Amino acid sequence: MDLSLLPQALVSGVLASGLYALVAVGLALAIGVIGIVNFAHGEFFMIGAFLAYQLFVSFGFDPLLSILFVAPVLFLIGAALYASTIRFVLKAPELNQMLLTFGIGIILQNLALMIWGGDPRSIGGVPYRAVGLQVGGVSVGLVPLGSFVISVLLVGGLYLVLARTPLGRAMRAVAQNRVGAGLVGLEVNRVYLVAFGLSALLAGIGGVMIAVIQSPTPTVGLAFTLKAFAIVVLAGLGNIRGIVSAAMVVALAESLVATMVPNGDALRNAVFFAIILGTLVYRSWRRA
Amino acid sequence: MRGRGLWLDLLAAALFVGLLAALPGILRGAYGQASVSYLALGIRAVGLAVLALSWDLVARTGQLSLAHAAFYGAGGYAAAVLLRLTDAPVWAGIPLAGVVAAALALALGGATLRLYGIYFAIGTLAFAEVLKTVVKSTPFAITGGSVGTNLPPLFRPQFVAGAMERWEVAYLRNQGYFLVYLGLLALAILVSVLVQRSRLRHAFTAVRTNEWVAGVMGVNPARTKLVAFVISSAIVGMLGAIEAHRFGSVNPDATFSVHTTVLALVTPIFGGLYTTVGPILAALVLSGVEETLKRTLSDGYLVAYGVVLVVSILFMPRGVMGLFRSLARRRRARAAVGAVAPGGRDA
Amino acid sequence: MKKLLALMVAAVVGVGLAQPVTIGILSPLTGGAAGTGQAQKAGFELALAEINAAGGVLGQPLRIIIEDDRADPATSVAAFEKLMTEDGVEFIAGGFSSGATLALVESFRTFQPIVSWIGGASSGIGNDAFDGIEELLGQEEWFFHVHPWDYQNVEATFGFIGDLGVDSVAILHEDGAFGTPGAAGLEAGLEAMGVDVVLREAFTSTLTGGTGDFRATLSKVGAAGADMLYWIGYDPDAQPLSSQLKELGVAPAYVFGAPPGWPTGIEAAPEMQCVMGLIGYLPNLPNPEAVAFADAYRAMHGTDPDNYMSALAYAQLWSYADAINAAGTTDQAAVIEKLKTMTFGSPMGDWSFKPSIEAKHQGFGSEMWLVFQFQNGVREIVWPADRATAPLAACR
Repeated sequence: MDLSLLPQALVSGVLASGLYALVAVGLALAIGVIGIVNFAHGEFFMIGAFLAYQLFVSFGFDPLLSILFVAPVLFLIGAALYASTIRFVLKAPELNQMLLTFGIGIILQNLALMIWGGDPRSIGGVPYRAVGLQVGGVSVGLVPLGSFVISVLLVGGLYLVLARTPLGRAMRAVAQNRVGAGLVGLEVNRVYLVAFGLSALLAGIGGVMIAVIQSPTPTVGLAFTLKAFAIVVLAGLGNIRGIVSAAMVVALAESLVATMVPNGDALRNAVFFAIILGTLVYRSWRRA
Repeated sequence: MRGRGLWLDLLAAALFVGLLAALPGILRGAYGQASVSYLALGIRAVGLAVLALSWDLVARTGQLSLAHAAFYGAGGYAAAVLLRLTDAPVWAGIPLAGVVAAALALALGGATLRLYGIYFAIGTLAFAEVLKTVVKSTPFAITGGSVGTNLPPLFRPQFVAGAMERWEVAYLRNQGYFLVYLGLLALAILVSVLVQRSRLRHAFTAVRTNEWVAGVMGVNPARTKLVAFVISSAIVGMLGAIEAHRFGSVNPDATFSVHTTVLALVTPIFGGLYTTVGPILAALVLSGVEETLKRTLSDGYLVAYGVVLVVSILFMPRGVMGLFRSLARRRRARAAVGAVAPGGRDA
Repeated sequence: MKKLLALMVAAVVGVGLAQPVTIGILSPLTGGAAGTGQAQKAGFELALAEINAAGGVLGQPLRIIIEDDRADPATSVAAFEKLMTEDGVEFIAGGFSSGATLALVESFRTFQPIVSWIGGASSGIGNDAFDGIEELLGQEEWFFHVHPWDYQNVEATFGFIGDLGVDSVAILHEDGAFGTPGAAGLEAGLEAMGVDVVLREAFTSTLTGGTGDFRATLSKVGAAGADMLYWIGYDPDAQPLSSQLKELGVAPAYVFGAPPGWPTGIEAAPEMQCVMGLIGYLPNLPNPEAVAFADAYRAMHGTDPDNYMSALAYAQLWSYADAINAAGTTDQAAVIEKLKTMTFGSPMGDWSFKPSIEAKHQGFGSEMWLVFQFQNGVREIVWPADRATAPLAACR
């Protein structure tokens, strides 16, 4: 066990939580607040990632700049999907939503495959990508730092929207009691539309970060979706602020095990999901 | 009334299984060597039916399990490890797979008794992912680690040159597997019918609807949920073992793939949840639709497949079975109206 | 009487000639390996057009049927049996996934068509407890394996590393069925060469559920202080591994990556500078066959042939056409004879089927592999010296 690597492990772990929080926050809105189980959430990342790639290839846009374009486009896609299909299964059992969104996911994934092909795509020429600030013997990567900051802003922003704005109050009302919300004059469908569009938008931003970090393929969404679901559930449905701490716990644990244990990186997923399972089970019995 | 329903159902099931058992011979007579290909497709469809029906069993108690692939994989590995480490007969792996999967389900089910809805779902998913990684890290000598291990096939018909054509060997092999898969499906159908036509059905539904109230009504929710979980997992564990033999190998990433779970849950939704016929019908229809699309549209057949899923759930919210039921209801209502209207037929 | 005889002969010959030769192809057109499948398809389409423009096979246009096998065992078996029974093909091509190939072994052995198979690099050699593809199918007279075996991939590197003269290597490998045996073989070979393997660590690839954060493992590489970092992973791992290495300030003298392929557009990334890799084919290869292939590919598909699977698929289909035409018949024994003995052309140069450790007919071997290096946005060949387009540059 090389203790000299511990400080770097801690720093990397904390910063890595940024990406986890980023991919979870959109899903937290969809499932946690509105109650739509969206199996196609990963495909929103994927579209965001490929849009960022295409904007780079066609116009030379830096990914951070493409966020300005990706965000509204994903919002429109989410809203369009809601209006055309998802709103019809809101009253149906959750399982129906799963099948619908699963079907949507297949469509989106294979459309992307037809458009861009199956090869992974890299955004070359991102000058800040390989930069690490050397702070007291530890390297603080610009990209993870950036993801961390963006994720905290988005999570905080979403929390404020939900807590302080009329739109947010409307979303929470609709999630709590759909009929009641309609009775007090809220345009329920419009609220859901905006919420779902917002969820897609947040996922799209996450997708841009993924395109910076990795080389996405049309199937890149799944691994992140599973982990996003897990983080949302770990934080507790409806607990938006909890996303950051939940992400931090799993990211730190992963980083520590990956650094301190021989071949520890191969255990990353086991660590992540063991924490999820353990916490869920522990909490359930403690409540009893 | 209940007794007669049970026997009718069992008779229908027996007829269905019997018909399917005769299918290989019928296909061979009608299509000759092409029957090999159709049988291969048939095997996949029946496998999907087992996957779907076993998942539906546990969904009836309201448990949305995302661990199905874990039990499938555990079954496959149980058979693989048994044959790798001992001289057991080839077929011994299958019942062992059922036992191992059942034991795992008992453990997981017991731990997650107080988890509900999406919390239960994610908990089971987490278990599946942990199991996959654990198997990957097990000692090479036992499971083959991340490379995996081979398994012998269940059927290896002998080719006798001059006395038969090569495709007949493939036919015999596919027929063998088809009948084994069918046998497992028959077991799943039997379990499902027995549940649907007994007090267990009401227990399952009560637990699914409201566990606390069910408890007040005298149902033991913990026992009900565990029974469903264990039986469902045993069945899919055996499927995992049979498929491992058919594919010749297991390896952690492929055998524990979450794709298996996803298929297991979307199929019954399409067909009609909490029924025996629904998951089976869905498996046959979806397999057929996918293969037809694949053969008619070269590129983008999966896009069309996704569209089929989306459209179907929008227009058939209770699945195919739900559609049949509402059609039947409408016909009965029309007949009743017709009977009382002047000039209508006598009811 | 003579006229009747002539008519009968003509009829028989006519009937025999009337059937175009059909080659059945299995390829992962969709799913996780779609990049490979689509690349193979592009190569096959180009070869088909050229073959038919040159007169086809046995005087008739060649036909191919490409089935999507999704790199999935169940789909592969069903697709193969369809090709054999419904379509009645006698020649099989394509292939990629080792797992799917293992599932096909029984079916292959039942039908015994001629199988020319690109993929499935998992030989199983060196692993007593696991029967890989070379061990299971290598001795079959009708099985021809095109892509190098896993140990041949590693072999190519030994020559290079020997020439390079490094003292210590740190090995990182993805923890699945692709990276683990490769790393084991690499370590054994390096130790035998007298190179010190100071680290051997597994990582979770982005393709198998990882999120692309390799900093933990890379910090261990920094602590180990090796001359060379050698990693075995998948295409999407290349970018994060390279950029995070630089971000952490870990700077070995040489960085060598061994994924099956490289992402599109990665050359433009500045952090890839000085990273090396193995490649079978690159669009900027200078030899005339490669230039001709690249030009024709661009004309047909509108993009560069980035993925070497296109070149392999192209070569495979052409080898079938050449062999069957040379044999003058579709009789299996005659075609096998030609496949065994002929030399074929390809964008990588001439090639033929020779015995390998346990296989009778192995196409490309370790000599197919070239070492390239990212230099200022271009992939330059740096080894072997006689085919190099630029000198090798150390990272520091």
